[in-house]
Amino acid sequence: MIEVTAAAALPSTQRAQPDAFAERLSGAWAFIAFECVTFSAYFVIYMLYRMRDPETFARAQTHLSPTFGVANTLILLTSSWQVARSVHSARAERYSDAQRQGAFTLALGVVFVVSKLSEWSLELSRGYTFGTNDFFAFYFFLTGIHIVHVLVGFAFMIAAMTKLRTEERHPQTMEVAGIYWHMVDLLWVIIFALLYVVR
Amino acid sequence: MTQLRNVWLVLCGITLLSWWLGSEHSAPSTQAAALITYGALLITGVKVRLIVVKFMEAHQQSKRLQLAMDAWLLALVVGLAAIYAFKVSMPPV
Repeated sequence: MIEVTAAAALPSTQRAQPDAFAERLSGAWAFIAFECVTFSAYFVIYMLYRMRDPETFARAQTHLSPTFGVANTLILLTSSWQVARSVHSARAERYSDAQRQGAFTLALGVVFVVSKLSEWSLELSRGYTFGTNDFFAFYFFLTGIHIVHVLVGFAFMIAAMTKLRTEERHPQTMEVAGIYWHMVDLLWVIIFALLYVVR
Repeated sequence: MTQLRNVWLVLCGITLLSWWLGSEHSAPSTQAAALITYGALLITGVKVRLIVVKFMEAHQQSKRLQLAMDAWLLALVVGLAAIYAFKVSMPPV
């Protein structure tokens, strides 16, 4: 049933290889699951440290900008929407739409990185560094490791968009890139709540 | 495509709700802090699940995968809420 569904979603150029496609997606999902579990360990450890010294964390948190936090969240949510559209366009063999939506995804990713660097500059200029206290250690660690994953997402997206240009079209690369990009987005959603919202 | 846009609008709307929750800078009372925290964790769970189901289409890959992602999300949200509720912490230095 799964193979039928996956095969039916493929454009005609790829319907000859549904098993390879399903296998690649399974591998991608296994990687996603591993990343989610790894980040979950970071999140739990953050909360454990927070409960050891809640006053310091609450005080330090007031020095973050909720505006930056929510703006970055909206940027990544919008990029997720665009890559989802790109995947749907590629399935429907609307390759120029898929390219345009993929490019928009990448552009929003760049905006996110620039925004994050600006936010870091702001905090550093105010004298808050990795060594200031446990809260800021977690802030720079979680946002730093997240940015690394965003940059990896860039590589996946560029590879996917390159594949779309080839004669064979290979939209499944965009499927894999899309799943990874959504993971980067959902991890940020959790990071936003833990760093900017919980008290 | 319209469904994707609607999911995006809902996610953005929920995010703005989180912004409102997190916009209080003065120290909230313990009770208010707890409400904000539990609310934020619940909202986060809803947003992540929307992304997993509607954008990532986990259920289309397999029901087992969807169940695994749901189990992971539930364990994470409940686990974080439990750490907060019972004040479980790292041992002091």
